[in-house]
Amino acid sequence: MKTEYEVVYRTHNTYEQNVREAFFSFLIQPCPDASQVVKSVAFSNSLEAEVFSHANSFGFEVMNLHTMKPFTEFEFQMKAVVEKSQPVYPLGSTLPVAEEQQLLGDHLFYLQNHLYLGFAHYTRLQESLRSKLLMRAPDQGVYDYLQALNTFIYELLEFDPEPTHVCTSANEVLKLGRGVCQDYTHLFIAIARLNKIPCRYVSGYLNQGLNLTGSAVMHAWAEAFLPGFGWQGFDPTNNLLADEHYIKAAHGSDYADCSPLKGTLKTNGSQKTSYSVKVTPCPLPETTPQPHSISSQMM
Amino acid sequence: MTPTDMDEAERQNQTSEVFRNYQIPPQFLDEVFRAPGAVHPHYETVLQHFLEFSKDEFKELNEHAKMSFFNQGITFSVYSDKAKGVERIFPFDLFPRIIPAAEWARVEEGLVQRCLALNLFMQDIYSDQHILRDKVVPADLIFSSKNYLKAMLGFKPIGGIYNHISGTDLIKHSDGQYYVLEDNLRCPSGISYVLSNRVAMKRTLFQMFRQFNVRTVNEYPQELLATMQSVAPRGIDMPTCVVLTPGVYNSAYFEHAFLALTMGVALVEGRDLYVEKNFVYMKTINGPKRVDVVYRRLDDDFLDPMAFRADSMLGVPGIMAAYKKGNVNLLNAPGTGFADDKAVYTYVPDIIRYYLQQEPILNNVHTYRCEKDDDFQYVLENMANLVIKPVDESGGYGILIGNKATKEELSEFKALITENRRKYIAQPIMNLSMHATFIEGEDQFEPRHVDLRSFTLLGKDRQFVLKGGLSRVALKKGSLIVNSSQGGGSKDTWVMAEDGPSMSMEQNGSMEQSMTMNGQTMTMGPQGMSIGTQGSLSSQAPGAQ
Repeated sequence: MKTEYEVVYRTHNTYEQNVREAFFSFLIQPCPDASQVVKSVAFSNSLEAEVFSHANSFGFEVMNLHTMKPFTEFEFQMKAVVEKSQPVYPLGSTLPVAEEQQLLGDHLFYLQNHLYLGFAHYTRLQESLRSKLLMRAPDQGVYDYLQALNTFIYELLEFDPEPTHVCTSANEVLKLGRGVCQDYTHLFIAIARLNKIPCRYVSGYLNQGLNLTGSAVMHAWAEAFLPGFGWQGFDPTNNLLADEHYIKAAHGSDYADCSPLKGTLKTNGSQKTSYSVKVTPCPLPETTPQPHSISSQMM
Repeated sequence: MTPTDMDEAERQNQTSEVFRNYQIPPQFLDEVFRAPGAVHPHYETVLQHFLEFSKDEFKELNEHAKMSFFNQGITFSVYSDKAKGVERIFPFDLFPRIIPAAEWARVEEGLVQRCLALNLFMQDIYSDQHILRDKVVPADLIFSSKNYLKAMLGFKPIGGIYNHISGTDLIKHSDGQYYVLEDNLRCPSGISYVLSNRVAMKRTLFQMFRQFNVRTVNEYPQELLATMQSVAPRGIDMPTCVVLTPGVYNSAYFEHAFLALTMGVALVEGRDLYVEKNFVYMKTINGPKRVDVVYRRLDDDFLDPMAFRADSMLGVPGIMAAYKKGNVNLLNAPGTGFADDKAVYTYVPDIIRYYLQQEPILNNVHTYRCEKDDDFQYVLENMANLVIKPVDESGGYGILIGNKATKEELSEFKALITENRRKYIAQPIMNLSMHATFIEGEDQFEPRHVDLRSFTLLGKDRQFVLKGGLSRVALKKGSLIVNSSQGGGSKDTWVMAEDGPSMSMEQNGSMEQSMTMNGQTMTMGPQGMSIGTQGSLSSQAPGAQ
């Protein structure tokens, strides 16, 4: 079964003082992959600056614009139509545990996946915190384990946008016991990597018709590599597998590779930014958009 | 020329208040003297000149040389100084360091070999990683380096060069061999001092200098420019090149300005450039001008707030994307820092063998890796004769110098290493060679430790090694630390054009002409015109006869 979605991302920034020069980068458009086809994508901005793109380190298109015309207000919009099909799921573990582990321990496999196996600011866990984590049992298959890990994190953390911010690391999340989808995802990634399972950070959009946590704004989840199968999405914030309701924009080692908006401005004074996301299944009538005033943090 | 008997007698008399108390260091190699009174052949003529100066004459020459630095504007001020705003110069020593032609030829060969191998290494790490697959270098060592950039993976710079400019630090050990202490593949500095040292030398002792056939250094800026042009984006005939500086507060700002000026290209800061549609432009009074090649003297972290540190106001937003589109080239390539890492250093000989199937020409300082059992045993038993370093820290932190450490420190370190063997390496304490150096205050020559920073340029199908380099001197007695921030000075470094008799009547520096009339010498050269009076200082000089 196929579903068509219209995805609209809109950001609106206002500045106290004139902005004399600005450079913005957006990593927000849905990407093509095995279960999604991007039918169309269009951009518009209030500065009428020409948008130009480049592929980032992981091959995802980043849209940029530069202006030297002074402004105090900036609006940017991306509108895409995506056809989403039901992804193929793994039917349990396809390989015996010993074979799975042999592959995960292989040197060449490690080299090919090293970007999804390393530990950096977001994903490095202190030795002292590791005892209370769920680790793979010696006779447990990878898929089985990751599903358990998904539930483990879902139950361990409480969804709360208050205490964390874009720079919060998995260590801090573990201590706080609360956070948003970005934090759930980093913790999932960190623990999966401790088990030598390649795992990457995904940013994207959720079907807004299902009342899933995090659907009002850009969402984050994880993709882990299942030996004998390939990459499979896990959403620890909702304790779900990523299915046809998940529209992927980009992936990377962690949030730093997927930050949806970056900008450098020459201005004095403060700024107000807000953004909204609208994901509408096309055949259905439109639902009312839900603008959220947040500080570029993903829920 | 052999001195006449009369000269000899005169020399014995004057000898040299300035050398009277010179003591040859027992356990180090002295670059000038083989034994008391016995001079290395390539220093004979120069030393003879220096012996002819009285103490007062020498002090005067020294002041003259200092003035040359003030006049060239090569000064810096130290912020922490009590006397704020006082301009200082890096101490310069008039006694040149001399490297015979044959000796240099071997060094040069070794430098090119090392830099080429390191370039192939970086190319491999950012593409197929064969060297990691073959486990010649441990993968974790590379992946854990913060200077390993995923933005460079799968991307090959225009021309295939990463380390366009390498500053390789060499020392001469007591065994008479050159050893590489460090590879600097990011933004090696010091070249401006090499060039100004030569100017100061010529201004002060031109009559002496011109008798020697010394290899020139002043072609460096043109070579650097040609290197930049050789790696310009495809289809650009007359590339616009610029030097990108972090600004006037950077301690090497003088050098950035100097290089831009001598290459005849614009000196820009990040705010002077911008990226539009993945091309880089320079803001000029005549409107935007496209920039093709950037010699950036800015660390990777600060280069592009869109790609690296988001809070950098020094960089150019979007320049990495323009670079990866092939619309601009950057020197050096971003992400070279993993390859000049201390831990990777120990693998450079293996890296040379791996890519070039050659034996390394230049020695590496032998390194014991504590993770290996027999090395670990050796380190524990010989701690007092070793320098022990953690592999992942820089700036001299956490280093133990065995022969300077107390008993407590040694046992403390023993525990540290045993706990984390993977983290430590050890090297023998290297005996940097010593060189006669004029010590102000003592007003005489004394031996001081020296090293040599060399400069190698790699472009598309072109290589250049500067004939000479920056000989840095540790001015503090007994000190091995040559860094300018820690009381180091420098010397002009003479690579001789040919060996054999160390004197030559040939003109050095083809661009110079001089004319002698009524005892006055007028010189025209790249440094302008100067007029000198032939006085007693040069009356013994064969060139003046």
